[in-house]
Amino acid sequence: MSALHALAVFNRLPILLFMAWRNIWRNPVRSALTISALAGGLVMVILYSTLLEGMTRQMVKFATEISTGHIQVQRQAFIDDQDLYATLPWSYLQTLEQQFPNIHITPRLYSAALASAENTSTGVLIKAVDAQREAAVTQMLSHVRRGELNLAVAETLDDGLIRYNVVIGAQLAKNMNLEPGSELVLVTQAADGSIGNALYRIAAILKPLEPSFDRMGVLMSIEAYQQLMYLQDGFHELSIKLDDATSLEDVQAALDTKLKLIMTSQSLDALGGVPVVRNWRQITPAIADMLELSKTMNFIIGFIVVGLASMGMLNTMLMAIHERRHEFGVLLAVGMKRRWLLLMVLFESFFLALVSAFVGSFIGIIFAAYFEDHGIDFSASMPDGYDWAGMVFEPVMKGYLEPAHVVNACVLMIFVTLFASLIPSWRIARLKPVEVM
Amino acid sequence: MALLTLQGISKHYLQGELQVNALSDINLNVEEGEFAALVGPSGSGKTTLLNIIGGLDAPTQGLTQLNNTDITGLSEAELSDFRLFQLGFIFQAYNLVPVLSALENVELVMVLQGRHANERRERAEHYLQLVGLQDIMQRRPSALSGGQQQRVAVARALAAGPRLVLADEPTANLDSENATALLDIMHRLSHEEKTTFIFSTHDPRVMERAERIITLHDGKIVSDECHQRHHEPTI
Repeated sequence: MSALHALAVFNRLPILLFMAWRNIWRNPVRSALTISALAGGLVMVILYSTLLEGMTRQMVKFATEISTGHIQVQRQAFIDDQDLYATLPWSYLQTLEQQFPNIHITPRLYSAALASAENTSTGVLIKAVDAQREAAVTQMLSHVRRGELNLAVAETLDDGLIRYNVVIGAQLAKNMNLEPGSELVLVTQAADGSIGNALYRIAAILKPLEPSFDRMGVLMSIEAYQQLMYLQDGFHELSIKLDDATSLEDVQAALDTKLKLIMTSQSLDALGGVPVVRNWRQITPAIADMLELSKTMNFIIGFIVVGLASMGMLNTMLMAIHERRHEFGVLLAVGMKRRWLLLMVLFESFFLALVSAFVGSFIGIIFAAYFEDHGIDFSASMPDGYDWAGMVFEPVMKGYLEPAHVVNACVLMIFVTLFASLIPSWRIARLKPVEVM
Repeated sequence: MALLTLQGISKHYLQGELQVNALSDINLNVEEGEFAALVGPSGSGKTTLLNIIGGLDAPTQGLTQLNNTDITGLSEAELSDFRLFQLGFIFQAYNLVPVLSALENVELVMVLQGRHANERRERAEHYLQLVGLQDIMQRRPSALSGGQQQRVAVARALAAGPRLVLADEPTANLDSENATALLDIMHRLSHEEKTTFIFSTHDPRVMERAERIITLHDGKIVSDECHQRHHEPTI
């Protein structure tokens, strides 16, 4: 019986669709206003999601391209306590590079130190990198504000001592009144327990990229670090960039497996703990959480905006149905089934939503494309960008038009408007022809 | 066996605390092919009786049997089917669907019946030709005069092949010329198509053309007379 009902409805679909389409143009001004409201809401949702997507992509870029990389390998004790001695042997780096030719790997070393300039001193965080490898993994070294990026030897003094170049963060430079060419003394406790100290020349000052580095970061070469710290055995961290970021989990698992294998042939000291392979989401859970939050926010904002706009649709349908009560009564009297009438009204809502979706997405995409190209420029007031939630954003907030967001917004709008039209449909379901004719 | 049998039909409803007896103990048989008028002053129960015959309203008491089917016991869905296949309606205010052309309006009921597209197009054109609207079939109701709209309504009611056509004051909104022409069309088609017509009216022009006049007063049948038709069709 239900199959017969389905067939009956299917046979009547063309006339129901035809009447529904014509019905929405019975009052063109009212339909146009309704479509404007729904399309306007859709434009807002598309713009919001475009800007949000742009921000989230900046967050991911910040996490993966500026500093962290897609994957990092560190020993557990370094993760827990920044343990200076929790290093991995250099042979691990070579083995991984041989085994994984399609990934880019850069080693890093860290230490805390006291930095002194002419009149000031402050605590700093030394980060030692291999400039060539680092450039293949992150863009940190390309964001120079002043000076020239150079981590090589600055000069060899008469007594044979070597003075290296270092690069520092913008805020640190400001706080210590340093400029490219200035001298900087670093004092720290070396790995052998002695006091390590050396004089360095500031080669460049980096743009604000990462708030902690900006305030207290000193970047130097691995050779300079090894001379200062007397730490030759290994490195603290491997940062890895994948050519194909979609294979993140697979590569992470493969690296984990490989490291376990290496450990069986070359065991590590127990104090430093096992090597831990983490992806950027695990390293910066706040960003991962924000990405999830942004998806939820996108849906909530979309739902609210489209929901409000659909109130206009609800009003239109209620008015249209009130005006056409007599006509509905006649249709019921001549034998139209109530369910067909409901279907026709739902089709009317669907068509209104569909036209609105076309208009709204067309206008929305034009605006979104503009924001994708030009963005919102804050450089006049914030030339170095803005710092939010521990991340530095570029001064031009650019959107990113994700086609799936447009489709989702349209589907959401059609769904919400159809839901809103259930109220007028419910009224039709209660119509008695004899009372309205 | 009569096409339509009404047995002891009563309809009461409450207006505030007052009970109104719209119809009281109506008994009536209508044979196939009759062209009958329900007459009486306003409030006599004509429309209520037509609504009960058409299954649009339920009687408080009594039995309505059409074509051997007791419609008082039918569900809403069954009544809907019953109206779709057995009845044709002509309303006082024409009641065409404004977004459909004359041709589409006539086809509409046949579409709902599930008839094949070719068949319904042929029938719709045929009946529009019978009511003299073959040249303006594509016009929408807003581009038709009142008389033309009511002719479309007649074509719509008949094209679906009903056993019984119910017309509630079909000429009430028409001028004399259009009313006369419409009645002649209805009468002619009633005979040609062997379709039974029951229409309510208090228009003397309509009464003149009716072959049977059933007079209602205060919800009761006070007379039921058969007449010979005096006028020849004017179209």
